Amino acid sequence: MIILPRKVAMVSGGLTYFSKARRDKTQEALAAEAARMALFENDINLEKEDIDGSVVSYFSDHFENQLLFGATIHDYLGLNPKPSVRIEGGGATGGLAIREAYAQVASGLLDVVMVIGFEKMSEVNTSKGNEFIALASDTDFDFPIGGFYSGYYALMAQRHMHEFGTTEEQMAMVAVKNRNNAQYNKFAQTNSKMNPYGMKNMGKITIDDVLKSPYVAYPLKRLDICLMSDGAAVAILASEEKAKKITDDPVWIIGSGVGTDAMRAGDRPRKRGGVPLLPHEKKEWYSNLEYPGIHSFRAGREAARQAYKQAGITNPLKQIDLIELHDAYTSSEIQTYEDLGLTKYGGGGKLVEEGVTQIDGDLPVNPSGGLIGSMHAVGATGVMQAVEAFWQLQGKAGKFHGSDKTQVKGAETAMIHSHAGTGTYVAVTIMRR
Amino acid sequence: MTEVYSIEPLVIKIPYEIEYRHSYGETSPFFLNIAQGKLTATRCDHCKMTYLPPRGDCPICLRETRWIEIPDVGRVHSFSTMFFAGEKFLKDIPFSLAYIEFDGVDTVFLTRLKTNDPKKLKIGMKVKMHMSRDVEWKASDVWAEPI
Repeated sequence: MIILPRKVAMVSGGLTYFSKARRDKTQEALAAEAARMALFENDINLEKEDIDGSVVSYFSDHFENQLLFGATIHDYLGLNPKPSVRIEGGGATGGLAIREAYAQVASGLLDVVMVIGFEKMSEVNTSKGNEFIALASDTDFDFPIGGFYSGYYALMAQRHMHEFGTTEEQMAMVAVKNRNNAQYNKFAQTNSKMNPYGMKNMGKITIDDVLKSPYVAYPLKRLDICLMSDGAAVAILASEEKAKKITDDPVWIIGSGVGTDAMRAGDRPRKRGGVPLLPHEKKEWYSNLEYPGIHSFRAGREAARQAYKQAGITNPLKQIDLIELHDAYTSSEIQTYEDLGLTKYGGGGKLVEEGVTQIDGDLPVNPSGGLIGSMHAVGATGVMQAVEAFWQLQGKAGKFHGSDKTQVKGAETAMIHSHAGTGTYVAVTIMRR
Repeated sequence: MTEVYSIEPLVIKIPYEIEYRHSYGETSPFFLNIAQGKLTATRCDHCKMTYLPPRGDCPICLRETRWIEIPDVGRVHSFSTMFFAGEKFLKDIPFSLAYIEFDGVDTVFLTRLKTNDPKKLKIGMKVKMHMSRDVEWKASDVWAEPI
């Protein structure tokens, strides 16, 4: 186990309603909406002036068309002249921002830090948005041939199917699970009934719906792919001393890890026996597996390995009660089960098929609905995961979501998994009540 | 004149155009060689690694690499057909992309896989690399076709 100078707790969280387009508010007002929930709706003893600084989490200057937007947000929330920093790391921006705040508090630099994540992707049309996201891939070699993220993930999914026999039906099960969980989360973009800014006529889906939805890039279909969203999420982290004054129910951050890999997935090694092993794994399991290749995310494995070591996790499937996992694609949720060691490499498809990751399974994954069911407002996403895990561990997920069906009963340990690029950066955080 | 998208709330359209003077720097020979009909990669003799796309510096030891010509025949490592794309490539759909393995190259190379029959594509199939005679000085100047 790794011991940092100070214990750090999450003490509050807030979300906006997520939407395909929140044109009713600017980015800064969306941030304020989430911050108000964090400050006023979490039963905490914390005044705004007790916040020592902010970490602002957003992905793309292209979407926002405003450089130095971190300063705009920090200013709008009235946090001047306190310290602030902007964090950016593609899809993992939010998870990296949580880690930054954790490091600032753990080190003793600040006592109470507000993490503010946001994105407003509706500032451009969907295909331009896909193009902007594709600029987070190699722009000399991968983008100019027509590369974009659904394409890259399709190529990786195809190889996963080839190596391990993963099926389109198993991927569809992930989509159904996440989309249907979202129907009990009032913040979710696909929740037509509970979210006043939700998309029309979404609701629950079936495996057949997913399989019959149009291909975007074979084998990925429309319903295998995450949302693009507007919205914000706020998390407040505090030192042990402060946390105990702020709330009777702090949620401790007990592990943090970040892994990295090649910007171009094709540059990743394909080395037999190259799997970094987790404590419960045996070398002989993978002696013939070329790793990571394009079928697995070495960055996710490495992030988990570090976080497990710090948190003393030796059997993640047994010791973790829920995961908010970066399900940009149904295929990448399956791939990530393996990277996180919830099953052996190759067992991801079977894991969802057996119902292990369902809301009532042994290890629920994405009870919020994740990126497929709830939202993907990139810079807000990892922060949203932290807020979801926090509410789950406090037993308040049902209260905030507006339905008890999303609450994982008796949850004590949660993990959040924030993923960028083709597995370029992955940040994992483990939290415990 | 400013084009208005909606009044309540007020949403306006802002066009944005930009011309980059983008340098390929140390990887320039890759594009220049394609114009000569040669597919080239970079080699680190110290680490015995060959990189395609090329890297001017070896990521393992950080020594400078050297250029080598590689065979124009490879195998499909993975493939997919696109039915949607970023705005710039919507005009091209449907089109296929593939990662190609080459003997003696340690990475796999992402490229267009041009075929009239995407249903016949499979992992492991042999492909030949083709190079444009009318180069645009972009990665799209080279592509694969099934043999």
